[in-house]
Amino acid sequence: MRLLAAAGDDAKILAGGQSLMPMLNLRLARPDLLIDINRADQRAPSLDGNHLRLPALTRHRVAAEHDLVRQHCPLLADAIRYVGNVRVRNRGTIGGSLAHADPTSEIGCCALAAGALVVARGPDGDRTIPASDLFAGYWSTTLAEAEIITDVLIPVARPRQGWSFHEMVRRTSDFAIVAVAVILNLAERDGVIAAATVALAGVADRVVLADPQPPDGDPDEIAARIAETLDPPDDVHASGAYRRRLARVLTARALREASARAAL
Amino acid sequence: MTPPPMTGRQVTLNVNGRDHEVWIVPSDTLLDVLHDELGMADVRYGCGEGVCGTCTVLLDGEPVNGCLTLAVQAEGGQVTTMRGLMGPGEALHPLQECFLRRGAAQCGFCTPGMVLTALDAVQRLGRPTREEIRYALVGNLCRCTGYTKILDAIEEYADQ
Amino acid sequence: MTTPDLQPLTKPYRIVGTSPAHHDFVDKVKGSLHYAADWQLPGMLHGRVVRSPVPSALITGIDVTAARALPGVFAVLTAADVPGNQIVERASGGLAELEVTMPVLAGDRVRYMGEPVAVVAAATPQIAHEAAELVAVDYTELPGVFDVQSAQSAGAPRVHEVGNTLVSWQIRCGDVDRALAAADVVIEGEYRSQHVEHAYLEPEAGVGWLENGVLTLRVSTQVIEHAAMIAHILGLPQSKVRVIAAYMGGGFGGKEDMTVEPYLALLVWHTRRPVRMIWDRQESLVASTKRHPFIMRYRTGADHDGTITAQQVEILGDAGAYPNLSPRVLFAAAACACGPYRVPNASITSTAVFTNNVPSSAFRGFGAMQIVLGYESQLDELAARLGLSRTELRERNFLAKGDLLPTGERLDTCVEVAQTMRRALEMLGEPPRPSGPGKLVGRGLGCNRHPYGRTIWFRDRASAWLSLQADGTLLIRSGVTDLGAGQAASLCQIAAEVLGAPLDDISIYIGDSALNPPAGGTFATRQLYMSGNAVLHAARELRERMAPVAADLLGAPAEDLEFAGGRVRARADGPSITLAELAAACDKRAISTAHLSTWRAQAGSFDPRTGQGDTFPDYTYGTHAADVEVDTETGQVTVLRYAACHDVGRAINPLRVQGQIQGGAMQGLGYALTEDMAIEDGYVQAALFANYLIPNAQDFPDVLVDIVESGEGKGPLGARGIGEPPIGNVAATIASAIHDAIGVRPDRLPMTPERILALLDERAAATREEHQG
Repeated sequence: MRLLAAAGDDAKILAGGQSLMPMLNLRLARPDLLIDINRADQRAPSLDGNHLRLPALTRHRVAAEHDLVRQHCPLLADAIRYVGNVRVRNRGTIGGSLAHADPTSEIGCCALAAGALVVARGPDGDRTIPASDLFAGYWSTTLAEAEIITDVLIPVARPRQGWSFHEMVRRTSDFAIVAVAVILNLAERDGVIAAATVALAGVADRVVLADPQPPDGDPDEIAARIAETLDPPDDVHASGAYRRRLARVLTARALREASARAAL
Repeated sequence: MTPPPMTGRQVTLNVNGRDHEVWIVPSDTLLDVLHDELGMADVRYGCGEGVCGTCTVLLDGEPVNGCLTLAVQAEGGQVTTMRGLMGPGEALHPLQECFLRRGAAQCGFCTPGMVLTALDAVQRLGRPTREEIRYALVGNLCRCTGYTKILDAIEEYADQ
Repeated sequence: MTTPDLQPLTKPYRIVGTSPAHHDFVDKVKGSLHYAADWQLPGMLHGRVVRSPVPSALITGIDVTAARALPGVFAVLTAADVPGNQIVERASGGLAELEVTMPVLAGDRVRYMGEPVAVVAAATPQIAHEAAELVAVDYTELPGVFDVQSAQSAGAPRVHEVGNTLVSWQIRCGDVDRALAAADVVIEGEYRSQHVEHAYLEPEAGVGWLENGVLTLRVSTQVIEHAAMIAHILGLPQSKVRVIAAYMGGGFGGKEDMTVEPYLALLVWHTRRPVRMIWDRQESLVASTKRHPFIMRYRTGADHDGTITAQQVEILGDAGAYPNLSPRVLFAAAACACGPYRVPNASITSTAVFTNNVPSSAFRGFGAMQIVLGYESQLDELAARLGLSRTELRERNFLAKGDLLPTGERLDTCVEVAQTMRRALEMLGEPPRPSGPGKLVGRGLGCNRHPYGRTIWFRDRASAWLSLQADGTLLIRSGVTDLGAGQAASLCQIAAEVLGAPLDDISIYIGDSALNPPAGGTFATRQLYMSGNAVLHAARELRERMAPVAADLLGAPAEDLEFAGGRVRARADGPSITLAELAAACDKRAISTAHLSTWRAQAGSFDPRTGQGDTFPDYTYGTHAADVEVDTETGQVTVLRYAACHDVGRAINPLRVQGQIQGGAMQGLGYALTEDMAIEDGYVQAALFANYLIPNAQDFPDVLVDIVESGEGKGPLGARGIGEPPIGNVAATIASAIHDAIGVRPDRLPMTPERILALLDERAAATREEHQG
């Protein structure tokens, strides 16, 4: 922490390195100081009251295979299958992914959908940031310069809750063109959808939360309405207009699948 | 505090069961050191981005990107390259024999990465299905074979 | 398993036709093969090219002082430091193209983004990188031109002073205008393809050094004959330059022109130190040569019974900023523009146009590949228009041995394309059903005719030297270079077949311009045809020379001798001698057991004015077939099944033949569906390997392979070339399948989900109009 505070702008945290190291290899980032935090924390995922506590240094592969994650946040376990490849998942970390804030990030998308909280430690102590307040734009977060994510707290899956993750890629395991994560909760008594969160990746300069209104409405209509609010950028893989269309299709599919899961 | 200049230092890397003392600068990647310092031709530069898999090595038994791992990060761990799987007198590992028999190498550049990743997949999954093997190999690109004979070789090995 | 076990047609051969794993393949699996970058010499420096960041500009100043002053820098060279800075490539032998030179290092002008401007050598790769960044070049940007149609328009910025049209080939036969006017049906179509990259897993690399005054380069290259060009660049005699071709980690035509060679040579010559250069992947993506994008315009005329009467074809290829091999690529496209079909009236114009894009040059398929989409799409459209099945229409028009090509050449080998079509479709089996709502399935096919061997007017030749050693082992020396497709190993199999030496007793030395008899480069699917024949003939001639000695020792006529298993015998159960004993006996009689043979391909000539004459020695015919599923909501195309069948003449090593077909088809699938350099205004958009989408292990199904062995190829023992042909059928096959699924034909590559969705929208709009109208 001292190193980070002292070096400021010239330092970068090195966790899994799967996003940072390519930038160094390509000379897109040239920090004077790399602070390797890989050995700073050996904790495993755990349950903390109503939350699944994932240490920031939890490797993607560990998160995907851990019983607690599969049980209490199956959305995340499922979505991690789409992250990179075997090597990336062996080293990349949950906290590192969130801090890197790629707008196509599966982890970021799930964090939003699940209402995750990020615990960040700085020179002045710890604070808790809702995922919905974390992402600030292309590869940038609201973390202060000398802050490091230490934990990610995910509300555990409740009974009568459904989830779904859908992603479209141009080539298997690539960066998502568009991804959608949905969590919806059925009402106690009558089984209608009481609340739903929809998060999308690849549709803006950051992962975004959409507002599915009404939560128990027709999935196609909800999806169409959400898509209309989006203005995705063009890039080498897809135009903004196509991404918007994908968002509509994938949101509808995810809502239906989450609904079916909730009913089980 | 200004960061110290990049000075060389000596590290000990355990590669294929043997300790090597090498002189590095902190920014050297594991790929740089294995290939250039230790002359290991079976760990190769392919892209520097972590997407092609030609620099795959096992670090404590897990496939990692040699080009995305700093050499200093491998200190204290065990690095295995494909040649580390072979027996005395260059005896082929059974998986390598399957590769040879099945014509799974054409230009051969992707082969070490493929073999290590395949070995890890079979060790973790026992007898993976062909689809599971495909999934395990998505990060190992091949431009010559169309993947079929590589999958054939791995399935043959997994059956043994 | 997946692929059917190959049964060779007949088995008069012991080694040819089997699939041993030997020679370089053993080293590759062991990880002990040393590629070009796996070579180190004491005091070795590291080289890096400095490249233009802009596509079209004057160089108004270049300041290397800061770069030279950086500690650890040993050389910073610019145009002024290059004795022979202009490369002249007369790719078609001066037959028809403009003469345009290409600098090794740009002096006053850059014409594409990535063009080399300077080169540095430093003690470490990191210092070389920093030095490269310190080279300060002043650019004054000039208007550029980035597509062929703009480049051909009046007033377009000139890429070269002499003009933007590099070459325009014409092939004419019959009377196309009259035939089209008289045709019962005329189909018009325009098809476009994109810039794609070889994406070999081994980036361009090499090490150079001085040895006894000889500039020696050990590089990943398909052509060691560039040694002469390197000598010219350095102003050295040719005897002072040696090029050694390391076994390549893939080439595919991307290492056919020089890559690192001239820069390494300059740095080695200047510093008098060994120098290594490895291109960054991103550097390779941006600046290495690419496949020519084509615009292909067809007008196809036919009778109502489906007989093709006319083909009018216009091909425009984007040559990029410099000529390289463009004239030959556009020529191959012209020669194959009518495909495997009889066309009595044809007019083909094939033009290479300069732009300020990265230069295009050789890439597996070489023009004859891109054009398949043109002629096969036209055939499919014709079938649809006439209500004929796609197979029926093709069978009506397939060429046969003895038919004339539009160039006036008569086909002198059999044409088994119909058989390949039947077999490919058979392999697919029953058509699949859609996997769910909103999904459509379709089946497609694509036939092709692809040349092997160099254009005949090059008077191609290849030499090989064989030596039976005193201990009965065999040495082969050949200038052949090895791309990873068994170029070297196949020569060993052929020699083993003829001389009976066990494969393990044969050593082959390849790709050294100082030590090997020249074999020509590895391209144009020519090595089996050329070097295979050279080794076959050298082995036969050597055997003929030694046979009387063996006959004498065994007391049997020379014609009765069998060379097998390391021995020579007259009868199956009779006495035999070892090859070592034979060698000793020859030596005693002062009969040499070493032999050099030069094999010459048939010669011919072509008249560019009439568009008539000789083109290629022969062709490989094949058909691919595929089942696809289209997701009508996302436009995604899933290939469900894929089958490929080619007539390979004779499979020297069936497993390797399968591998070529599977690998070529996979490259074709990337070309068809996912790969695109996406160059905009001269800037490559897909400049990261993460963004250039070559197929991975999960993208496509196994390519099912069947082969026909007609035995009438001009390669050794009746073989035909198989390196390039399998990449050509794919895009047409997939387009055909998508059309079958959704009723609209993609005419632009790659067939991305977004483009497919746009086609679906078009179809929906057209259907709505129909219902309203």
